[in-house]
Parts: sequence; structure tokens; C-alpha cells
Amino acid sequence: MDRETNRPKKLGFRPSKAPNPSPSSSSPVRLRPREETKRDSTSSIHERRNPVLDEDEETGSPIFSYLVGTCPDMCPAKERQQRERLRDLSVFERLHGDPSRTSSKLAVKKFCRTMSNAELQEVEIRPLPVLRSTLKYLMNLVDTSDQPFEVVHDFVFDRTRSIRQDLTRQNILDDEAICMYEEMVKFHIESHKKLAMCYTKTDLASLCYLNTEQLMKCLATLFKLFDIHRRSSSLYKNEAEFYSFYVLLHLGGKIPQMGSSLSLWYRKLTLSILQSNEMRFSMTLIRYSQLGNFKRFFTRLEAEASDLQLCLVEPFLSEIRARAISYVNHSGYKLQPYPLKHLSDVLRIKESELEELCHVCGLETTMDEAGMKTLPVKQTSFSLPKLGLPVHSLSTF
Amino acid sequence: MAYLSMGEAHRRITDYLSRFCDAVSSQDAATLSALLAISSNFASLQAPADALNVFQDSNQLVNQVERYAQFAEILSPLLRCLQSYRLGRYSDAYVAFEKAANAFLQEFRNWETAWAMEAVYILALEIRLLAEKADRELSSSGKNTEKLQGAGSFLMKIFGALAGKGPKRVGALYVACQLFKVYFKLGTVHLCRSVIRSIETARLFDLDEFPVKDKVTYMYYTGRLEVYNENFTVADQKLTYALMHCSPNKEANKRMILKYLIPVKLSIGILPKQWLLEKYNLMEYNEVVKALKTGDLRLLRRALREHEDRFLRSGVYLVLEKLELQVYQRLMKKIYVLQKQKDPSKAHQLKIETAVKALNWLGMDMDMDEAECIMAILIFKNLTKGYISHKNKVVVLSKQDPFPKLNGKPVSS
Repeated sequence: MDRETNRPKKLGFRPSKAPNPSPSSSSPVRLRPREETKRDSTSSIHERRNPVLDEDEETGSPIFSYLVGTCPDMCPAKERQQRERLRDLSVFERLHGDPSRTSSKLAVKKFCRTMSNAELQEVEIRPLPVLRSTLKYLMNLVDTSDQPFEVVHDFVFDRTRSIRQDLTRQNILDDEAICMYEEMVKFHIESHKKLAMCYTKTDLASLCYLNTEQLMKCLATLFKLFDIHRRSSSLYKNEAEFYSFYVLLHLGGKIPQMGSSLSLWYRKLTLSILQSNEMRFSMTLIRYSQLGNFKRFFTRLEAEASDLQLCLVEPFLSEIRARAISYVNHSGYKLQPYPLKHLSDVLRIKESELEELCHVCGLETTMDEAGMKTLPVKQTSFSLPKLGLPVHSLSTF
Repeated sequence: MAYLSMGEAHRRITDYLSRFCDAVSSQDAATLSALLAISSNFASLQAPADALNVFQDSNQLVNQVERYAQFAEILSPLLRCLQSYRLGRYSDAYVAFEKAANAFLQEFRNWETAWAMEAVYILALEIRLLAEKADRELSSSGKNTEKLQGAGSFLMKIFGALAGKGPKRVGALYVACQLFKVYFKLGTVHLCRSVIRSIETARLFDLDEFPVKDKVTYMYYTGRLEVYNENFTVADQKLTYALMHCSPNKEANKRMILKYLIPVKLSIGILPKQWLLEKYNLMEYNEVVKALKTGDLRLLRRALREHEDRFLRSGVYLVLEKLELQVYQRLMKKIYVLQKQKDPSKAHQLKIETAVKALNWLGMDMDMDEAECIMAILIFKNLTKGYISHKNKVVVLSKQDPFPKLNGKPVSS
């Protein structure tokens, strides 16, 4: 397996074409436990839990025989017909806008919780090449559709989950799977930012939460895949950056818990990952944030974050800035209102946006004799609004 | 190995089987335990193990004699386990042991008293040790390691058998600790939560009824969990309990406890003496302590870098990193004290520029904005009393106790 994908570090690395398998073109590594279990007489095929891709406890029933899919389309014919009958077609799947007609070029298999492998037939599972092209189709949709983003996200969110389900059922664990998971992580990270920007949506919080939850599931599986491959070869080119995403998620206050604290998570990582630039960067950012060293936090973020890292972090910046405002408010001198211009420089935010943030947090702003905007300190009305804060990007100077 | 005759082999095996049955009928837990302690490699176990390689048909032997046959479900796999272990086939040994242990547990459930508790302890210990060996073997031949996970499931079964009213409860803490060891090793530490809940909140147990030795182990593990979750007050209580009640001669255990207790104590402002670090060989904390005493941030950073791997492995790295704030406090206090000596009337005005100079002198690259940030957070977290005049670039300290000590409480969040 070669590591020849020379993706420049600064870019969130999506190549313009679909990801290609490594040029060494050995057939994909697919661990086949069927052969293994013949040697191990005590566990039958039917009682093996998928040891790797078990991301959804609901989807993985303990009874697993690894199927090899034969479905040629993005959606199995049986499901297409059923959903046409039930008029259960997404706006993207409708042929000429007809809610009861679809085609093999438009319909994409839905995520379905319930089935055990015993009930599924091979013709309902998509093999790897089909999954690859399905993912490509979905990613293209994200780029080109003119539907509102939440609608696109909802569709792609579900359909990529179904792709992951098919990967799990066939126990596909090779380079191609890694590529696909990386793509999906990227989708969730970019969605993370785009969703956060839709500040006015009322169900935003739950949308964001669900998206983050899937992001974490994808990351968890991706890490397992990296682990498997590490036995035989060196680090993947982007591996460190993906681990750094998991760390950076902890900048946000309300992320779904993955079961253990960061301290415990670090214990499991290899030294080469922990000492990578991306990990050092993210661990340091966490340190600055927790310490309250906003000056360094923002300068370091601006200097070193990759596009994807920035995408991930930007929705969290408002909370961090709000904290900074509260510290300034608390520790300042009563008779000297704090200049917003200076604070906006340090917090890498536009002055008008900073003003908005102060107001949203219940703080008044005033103007001094020279016409400069200021924040009177020692106000007692500071509070974080329940509905969340507006998201402002990183303003570079 | 000396030549073993068929007759001698037969004798050794029946001897083992008889001892087992005798132990059960006379409720002799000690003997029973010795027969189950596979990985202890007692000579008394090696003997029948060797015999099994000569006398191949032990199953038939078990089934033909009535007093052995009643325990066939235990004894047949147990013999297989002995044999596999002796041959170094640990994965096979584990599988066989799990079968035997399951059957034994069934019997144990039927016995009314807790006479066999010691044997159950051995079962709990052995299942873990054998699983660890088995997984090592599997890993080195590139296969999936899942035996330890299986051991965890079995331990939960034992735990279930012990939980409830009755004299068997006394063993629950020991088994809980075995579970902790398994979960920590597997990295699935979050699974400890349900065990802890059963012990602490289910009101089935009164912690006082357990042997002190088990309580120490329990407090050690739960204390560690509190450290990872940064609940320092609780962590302090638990780990201190473990330390105080640890057997005086168990130096290695004390060291393990201290490894986690020291960062906790540091976080609440209590510094260990040098001799303690030396005695227990925990010198990796030496520079951290010095940095806190002198306010030398550079020293703290260096200590963290030097022992980074060790601190990350034990999981205390993030806890130690947070000590930075206390180091800053110490430094500011030093500046304040020096200023007071020079000119008491002006001491409470700390120019931000002075802080910057001090930090630069220590080799830390810092500017006015950053220094102001740090001062703001020191004030916010009550490590400094006063306010900042941004306009005049000065921190005005409170005239009374401007740098309050932590006094056993963690930094406010």
C-alpha cells in the first residue's frame, strides 16, 4: 500500500476527482473472517459481532455473516419500487418533480435501522464500486444543488449513513474504505460550519448535535481503520489531521460524549500521532482555550489551522469570545470602559460583530468622547443566551 | 522431561480429580483454589498437566467414575485447560477455562453458603490473566484479540452471582476490581460506570462490610477515574483513603497511588516534599513542584515536555498542564513581594510591562496583550484580587491578600 496521495497540507484535501485506490493496485484488503473462523472452531460465523465497523449498536445485530453485495444501482430496485408506491421520495430523487416516480440514476438507498443480515439479500447491498460512485454523486450534489443547505444536508446525511451501513455489512476495511470515510468526515465538518451559520433556525441546535454525532461516529470508525492498517504500514498522510479533529471538537461546549475524557483518549494513541504537528496544534489550542489565553488562541488559530480545522472550530468561536468578554467585564476598571477595537483585534472579530456579541450576552456598549466604541465593565447583566450565539468567522488582519 | 509411564500418568490425573472432589465435599476452599490457579504454575499443577499429554483419554476417565462425572462439565474443560497451558497454547487454555469457570459458577450459585468464595476469587483472577496471555498470543499472530473482552463478560456474570442479599456479597468488590483492571486495559473505561453504580448507589452494599484490601483497590481505581474527569476534591478523598489504608509493606502499590494523588494535590495547592518523591521514585514530578514553588513557567513547560510520554500514558498530562495558572500566580506574587520590598506604597500597582519583562527574562515570549489576558483570567479565577486598568496598562492589586492560596480547594471554574 503506497502513501502517494500528495495532498497539500493547508487544503482540506478533497481532490477534484473521486478518490482513487492506491496505484499499487493490489486487490483491496478485505479481511475475511470466514476463513479465520474455520480455524477457530469454537466461534461460529453466526455469532461474530463485527469487530471493527460496529458504529451503530442498532444496526449491528450480533448475527453477522459477511455478505458480498451485487446491487448495481445507487438504490436497490426493490426499494425504488416500494418507495415509488409509498411516495417516499426525496426532492432529489423525483423524476421531473413527480413525487411518485424515480429512476436508477436518481434514487439513493436510504438508511434503515432494523434489518439483520439474515433478512437481507445480496442484491440489496451495493458492492464497493457502486458505493464509491454513490458517494461521489452525493458529494457532487452538495456542491451543485440549489436547494437550501439544510435540505441537502438532511438527504446526504441519511444516504451517507446508508453507505456506511453497506460498508459494514460487507466488512470492507481497505484503503478505499478509508478514502470514503475521510470524504464523509469532510462532509460533516463542512456541514458543521454551514449549519451553524443558519443562526435563525429554531431546530438548529438539534441539527448541529446530530451532525456532530455522525461526525464522531465516522471519526471513530476511521480511527479503527487506521489502527488496523497501522500493523502493516506507516501512518497515512492525513491521519494526524483526522485525530486533531477529534481533539478540536472538545473546544465546543455541548458535543455528544464519546464515552471517555480526552485524558483517557490520549492514552491509546501512538507517539507518532501525538507528536505530529496537527495534534500538537490542536492540543495547544485546547490548552489556550481552557487557560483563557485568548491572545495566543486566536493568533495560533489564524497562523496554523488548515481549512478543515478552521471549519470545525469556527462555530465554537462565539462561545470562546463570549468567555473572553466576560473576563474583561469582570476584571476591568470601573471608570474606564474597555475599547472594543482593541478587543476585536485580539479576538479576531469585526468590531460590529463584537458589538453584536456583547449585546446578545446582555451587555451594553457605549461610545467615548472620541467616538470610539467601548464596553463599560463590571456590568452584572452578563449571561449566555439559551438559544445560542451568532457565529462569526475568524477575521484576519 | 523424564519418561512418564501410562500408569503414573493415570495416577496423577485421578489424584487431581480426587483432590477436587474431596475439596468440594469437605468445603475446603483453600485446596480448591490451588487446583484452579492455572497460571500460578504450581508444581502440583504441572504434574497432572504433563500427565495429560501422555494419557490422552482424560474425558473418558472423568465420565466413567461417578464421583468425577458429577462435575464433568467443570473437570473436562479444566483438564483441557491444564494441558493447553502447559503446552503454551494460551488461547486454547483460555477457551477451556472459560467453559470450566462457567460450569463452576453454576455450581457455586447452588451452594447456599459462601464457603467457596476464595475459589471464586481465583476464578476471577485467572480468567483475566489467562485472557491477557491469550490476547498477547493472538496479537502476535496477527489475529483479532477478543479474549479479554470475553473475560470482562464473564466477570460481569460472577458479579451478578454475588450481588444480592446473602453472605456471597462480600466478594463483589474484589470482582469489581478485576473488572476495572480489564476495562482499563481494554481502554473501555466508560464501562466502569455501571459497575460503580451497582456498588455505590444500588444500596445493595455497605462499603464497610468489604475487606479493607479490596476497598483500597476499589478506591484506587475509582479515584483514578475522578482524576481523568478532573473532579479533584473527590479524587483526593478516594486516593487518600487508598494510601492511608494500603498495607505498610506494599511499597509498589503506594507508588501507584501516589502517581495519581500527587497531581491531584498539586491541583489543590498542596505540594509534596522532596523526600516523598525520592522515596517512591516519582522524580518526574520534581520539576513540576519546583516550578510551582518558584513561579518558573519555563520549568513547568520543560518538565511537561521531558516526561510527556509518561504523563500522557498515565493520563495526568492535562491535569499538570492546568497547573500553569498557579505558576503564573506564583510569579506575579514574587514580583509583588519584590516591589513591596523596594517601595511598599506603590507595591499594589503591578505594571503589565513588568510582568512581560519578567516572563521574557524567563525565556517566555510574551507581549502586553497576552500578559493582560493572563492577568484577567487570574482575577476571574480568584487567584488574584484586583482589577486591570487597560488604559494605564497596570494591574491594581487589592491591598489585602491579593494572591489568595488555594488551601485545598481546586481552582474555581
